[in-house]
Amino acid sequence: MQLDFTARELTIKLVYYGPALSGKTTNLQALHAASSPEATGRLMTLETRDDRTLFFDLLPLTFSSEKGLSVRLKVFTVPGQVIHASTRRLVLQGADGVVFVADSREAETEHNAESFRDLRENLKQNGLSTKQLPLVLQFNKRDLPSVRTEAELTDMAAQGKEPVYLAVATKGHGVVDTFVGLLHLTWQTLDMRHGFTEKFGFESSAFFADVLGKLNDPRTLPEVLNSRVGRRGLRKEVAQ
Amino acid sequence: MKSERPLRSLDELTLDSKFSIQELISRESFDVLLRSMNELFAVPIRVFATDGALFSEVGPASPLQSYLGTLPGARRSVRETVEQVKSSTPQGDNDLRLQGETGERYTVIALTYDGRPLGRAVVGPYVLPSESMPQALAQCDPLVSSDRLTQVWGEISRSDEASVARLARHLRSMLGLILFSGHRALLASNMHIASVQESFRELSEKSATLQAAYERLKELDRLKSNFLATVSHELRTPLTSIIGYSEMLVAGIAGDINEEQRDFIGTIHDKGEQLLELIKGLLDLTKLESGTLNLHKLDIPILPILKDIVHTLTPTARNKGVILSATGDAGMPTLWGDAARLRQVFLNLTENAIKFTPAGGHVTLSAQIAHVELPTDEEGPAIVLRGVKRPMIEVRVADTGIGIPESERPRVFDAFYQVDSSSTREQGGTGLGLSIVKRLVDAHDGTVEIGENIPRGAVFVVRIPCKRLSFFG
Repeated sequence: MQLDFTARELTIKLVYYGPALSGKTTNLQALHAASSPEATGRLMTLETRDDRTLFFDLLPLTFSSEKGLSVRLKVFTVPGQVIHASTRRLVLQGADGVVFVADSREAETEHNAESFRDLRENLKQNGLSTKQLPLVLQFNKRDLPSVRTEAELTDMAAQGKEPVYLAVATKGHGVVDTFVGLLHLTWQTLDMRHGFTEKFGFESSAFFADVLGKLNDPRTLPEVLNSRVGRRGLRKEVAQ
Repeated sequence: MKSERPLRSLDELTLDSKFSIQELISRESFDVLLRSMNELFAVPIRVFATDGALFSEVGPASPLQSYLGTLPGARRSVRETVEQVKSSTPQGDNDLRLQGETGERYTVIALTYDGRPLGRAVVGPYVLPSESMPQALAQCDPLVSSDRLTQVWGEISRSDEASVARLARHLRSMLGLILFSGHRALLASNMHIASVQESFRELSEKSATLQAAYERLKELDRLKSNFLATVSHELRTPLTSIIGYSEMLVAGIAGDINEEQRDFIGTIHDKGEQLLELIKGLLDLTKLESGTLNLHKLDIPILPILKDIVHTLTPTARNKGVILSATGDAGMPTLWGDAARLRQVFLNLTENAIKFTPAGGHVTLSAQIAHVELPTDEEGPAIVLRGVKRPMIEVRVADTGIGIPESERPRVFDAFYQVDSSSTREQGGTGLGLSIVKRLVDAHDGTVEIGENIPRGAVFVVRIPCKRLSFFG
């Protein structure tokens, strides 16, 4: 996170993490396609080979509330293959929130677990942990055969504290939900820590209205947040 | 190990990126772009960085302004026009159109990257194709020449506003692409450096762990040698008494004994001797490992040693039904070595050969002179000495036994190593013999290798130098 007091400008770093070929880049492409030109810049893809990300993808997004802060988002993906551990650690440095993109297929369960352990380890090396860091899970590729059942994932989600979203990133399903879910969680965490609302008169609801507007999503924030599976009752703020 | 950080970290390059135009674009290449724009649109273009410094320009200076600059009464309006252009900053994509008192037109374009200002492009001065000069211009100074004024007015670039707007659009998208590529290249090269540094850090950590483990193993190895030396020494003392007293008993010093008792005591004595040999072997090994074994080297002939070994082991060989023989040329030179230790070497190899040769087989010891080129991997002298052959005595201990698989050959000289390490192996032994052989041969500056005895069996080839070469010290 970077805060420029004089320009009243906040930069937040979000990272899409997950095993190789789980659809991290596809998420960013879908997000880029959904967002209005005035909110987003070019999607930067750094070094690819055979459609695999070698370094990272970077999508810049800019949102603002009527008064107060303008918020610049830098959305990154990491390279999924095991050998790029050092690059993943570098990209993860200074992340404010993380989406873990898991492959829903039964056969990929072990790869998901391995990548999640890798995430934990790399966070630890950067002095962070999944406990403090805003984290959202996405089970992608829901349209493929032999995926883990929705009932199973809902059940799992109900036991964990991280919000869980289902997605088909190639069709853009669940992409905005996951992104807004993470942004909301990240915002709450940062606001609690730094008190932006107090200092800048930031209006959270106006900001998220701008986000959803620029992502061309007709739903309201509570509607989007409630699309997560296995939630344990509504949060107070969301229920309003 | 702490590695240096790259020029700028990933966060610095992406989160708070405030780039200057000079950083992302090569000025020379940009000049080329501006010149081609000027060719297309025929209007002067100037690009300024955020700090106001001129970055690139194309097109002539205004002929009108040059002329008016010579007239005291007109200088003010020229200055004001320039000031107006300099101080105007358009917002976003809204280009700013200006017309000065002199009648010249300008369009100011904001240049941005990633939502941040990067500089300004100023297009102009130009006038519309059919535009005539302002009336006021003719009265600006008493000295003004209307002919000259008409001439310079005609020299000003002509363009309509739509063309300039098109130019602005092209310039912006062109510049956006160049800046994006520049930023991307900058990020990629920084990521390359950072990834390599991160991998290096990781490898350094691992290598430090390995180094520590290696040091620890070396220390353990030293402790093991010490332990073996102490234990061997302590074991030998009581064993000497056991052997001594059993000898005295057999000799009848403590009174008469019957045949059976003599037989039993004889067994105690033999087993005691066997144990003593084993302990001596261990002690030799530890001395050889620590480099404290003293060799008494002299010029000695090899054949008597081999013959003595054949003599000693013939009964053993005969018991197994193995034919044992030694051959060699009587006129061979002597070698430089410790006779007792070399006897130990060949005794061990011959015993081994007999052990692994089935009945009806042969074990042959043969000695000959060999001229061996000095190894070339030594420093310094090796190059000078290349091609110099050193006379050595080569002894081949060949058997017709089970042989040694090629994959096992490099390891048989390791202490305690057994080719067949299964508990049900046919042959006894401690696995110490060959490692002692190797170390003793090394101590003689010699070599020992294992080859194949065609068609069957193994052959140990030992080479010991004939003479101490004076230049080897």
